[in-house]
Amino acid sequence: MVQSKKQKYTFLAFCLIPTFIMFSIFTLYPLFSGLYYSFFEWSGSSQDKTFIGFDNYIELFNDDIIPQTIYHDYFLVAAKVVGIMVLALFFAVALTQLKIKEAPFYRIVFFFPNIMSVVVIGILWAFIYNPSMGLVNSGLEAIGLESWTRAWLGNEDWALPSLILPSVWAGIGLFMLMLMGGIANVSKSYYEAAEIDGANEWQQFWKVTLPLVWPQIKISILYIVITTLNGSFIIVQVMTGGGPNNSTHVMGSYLYQQAFQQYNFGYGATIGVMILILSLITVMILQFLMRRERVEY
Amino acid sequence: MKKLFTGPVSLLWMGLLSLVLVAGCSSDEESSSDGGGSGSGDSGELELQYFVGGYGDSWWKEVIADFEEEYPDITVVEHAGPNINEEMRSRWVSGDPPDVVYIDGAGSSETQMVEDGQLMNLSDWAEDVEVDGEPLMESFIVDPATYDGDIYSLPLVFDTWGTWYNEAMFEDKGYEVPADFDGFMNTMGEISEGEDIAPFVTTGQHPYYFLRGMLYPAFGAAGGDELLNDVITGAEGAWTSEPVLEVMKKVEQMQQEGYIDEGFGALNHTQSQMDFLLGDNAFIPVGFWLPNEMANDVPDDFDFGFVPSPMQDAGDPYSIVPDLRPLAIAEEAENPEAAQAFVEFVFKKEYAQLFSEHTGAIMNLNGVDLSESEEVPDYLTEANEMINDPDQVQINNKPHPMSSDLEEPIGNSLTSLMLGNITAEEFVEEAEAAAADYRESNE
Repeated sequence: MVQSKKQKYTFLAFCLIPTFIMFSIFTLYPLFSGLYYSFFEWSGSSQDKTFIGFDNYIELFNDDIIPQTIYHDYFLVAAKVVGIMVLALFFAVALTQLKIKEAPFYRIVFFFPNIMSVVVIGILWAFIYNPSMGLVNSGLEAIGLESWTRAWLGNEDWALPSLILPSVWAGIGLFMLMLMGGIANVSKSYYEAAEIDGANEWQQFWKVTLPLVWPQIKISILYIVITTLNGSFIIVQVMTGGGPNNSTHVMGSYLYQQAFQQYNFGYGATIGVMILILSLITVMILQFLMRRERVEY
Repeated sequence: MKKLFTGPVSLLWMGLLSLVLVAGCSSDEESSSDGGGSGSGDSGELELQYFVGGYGDSWWKEVIADFEEEYPDITVVEHAGPNINEEMRSRWVSGDPPDVVYIDGAGSSETQMVEDGQLMNLSDWAEDVEVDGEPLMESFIVDPATYDGDIYSLPLVFDTWGTWYNEAMFEDKGYEVPADFDGFMNTMGEISEGEDIAPFVTTGQHPYYFLRGMLYPAFGAAGGDELLNDVITGAEGAWTSEPVLEVMKKVEQMQQEGYIDEGFGALNHTQSQMDFLLGDNAFIPVGFWLPNEMANDVPDDFDFGFVPSPMQDAGDPYSIVPDLRPLAIAEEAENPEAAQAFVEFVFKKEYAQLFSEHTGAIMNLNGVDLSESEEVPDYLTEANEMINDPDQVQINNKPHPMSSDLEEPIGNSLTSLMLGNITAEEFVEEAEAAAADYRESNE
């Protein structure tokens, strides 16, 4: 059956134009209006807007809190990438290679946090960290480590590290499934061949599993980085509100505070532009660092 | 089947889709343009926005019903709820605000609204208003906030922050209700030993609870309205001044003695109030709305006791700093006559009495006798008496609420001070720097 050129283009247009309209309305328009508002002094709750050129950007560079928020964001990114990838890979390998009988049960257990809302996770962990009735402190007391107990989320030094545990816990499941999918696609014959060549389990992991699931690992890392830079806001907002004394503010939560609590919407938009630029740069650097020849045996 | 997506039919699909999109965009404008009503005089539609928080909405419902009875030609359209400030924001931004707004709760800021020119200047109108046969301007407990001498809002709810304690526990164990800062420290010392708890708690997620609940009264007691005015407006040198430093030394002392619950930094206001009700702590600074807000969680053996925050030196009266929740008319109100009629109507003594019965708080009107009504809670009658006794309590007024641009950074440093990470001297330096930034950004 031959399709005329016209038919082909109409079909393409039918597929592309609605998507493009949606994309323009829900992605391009907000993106550019965000950029537009970053040049204004605007409270976000009135009609009065004053064009102030690059003043918001100058303020951004002179704001002492901004470097802290960037540091906090990348601290979370690094901790989450390491924590989630190591654990997710470990669980994925364990559940696929070690022939555990209860594997389906563990798969559900590990995936469970992913179907919970991050808000619920935040509230749950805020209770776990609660200094007087939380699990963490009572657990430490039970094993005789009273001196280690502290107000985890209320302490300027410990609040940020305390956010890592819930973030990692909430993230493992999804990436574990992705990696399991990757591992399942590796043909059994490679392992058999490796075994015949005398490779032990450890060597099999490094020489066979890891190179062959590298595409999944790469996507997982990128995904963790992007969602953390854009989404760590939620867990911070729910668990600490950025405090105490800004010690847990990430770029997103600081944006929210400026735009909606301090009524500096224009400045908030400026922070949004900064987040966009930093995310782009980070992703580009990561793409560069993680490029590898596709391995096939 | 294939025909459905190709040829001239596909154009139809596209047309349909774009029609849906266009319709989706325009429906908003249509509904808002005929939503306002163009009534003149005391008729037409009156749009009212009010926040529903700790005080509930039963009082509003009753007042609105009475108002509609008296002005049958006016239909009141209510926009109410706990998130109403956020929900109505797009209306304010697009220049189509409601006529009357009660400014209270998260997401609302009187100062910001005035700075944005959203509220009607009521200075001249309010001079002539008479309610219950008296000029309205003379019957307020606290006068309206002024911005460069002009009035943009009328204070409706007289709230005040103070320090709450469990009266039942205090009577039972014989702890003394503090009358000044020394007494406060003594009682906290006794409780700390007797109950093995950190006696004082507040929310660290919203440091303004401590700022407004403890520091404002302390500044009022130490330097009167003038000092209060200077710290709130961020006047040069106010935060590093001697009286402010002395107050902050008191806070430092509370921290060093271990009287401030060291877990406070992570608590939001509900958690801190829960800890207080459960007896994990003995004192908490909150406003009059606390009993109403926590009504479902009060243990049986708990009895609310209220005292103005005891931050003053021995021999001085307590200081309270009223926190007013105002009623205002939008600058771009579509029915200003009806709006004015409603505002006049609300400020009747009758409704002030009703307000205390419904909410357990006080309306900002003089000469309302609460002792007669049995529905008014005890703590309120007691507090009301105390507030009206100048030997015991002095009332200090702030010019207007502190701008969040100043309150945020000061709150952050305050948390640090209360966690023991900085000294009182470092705090005042940081606060002074924040005030300098604030002044600069407002020029």
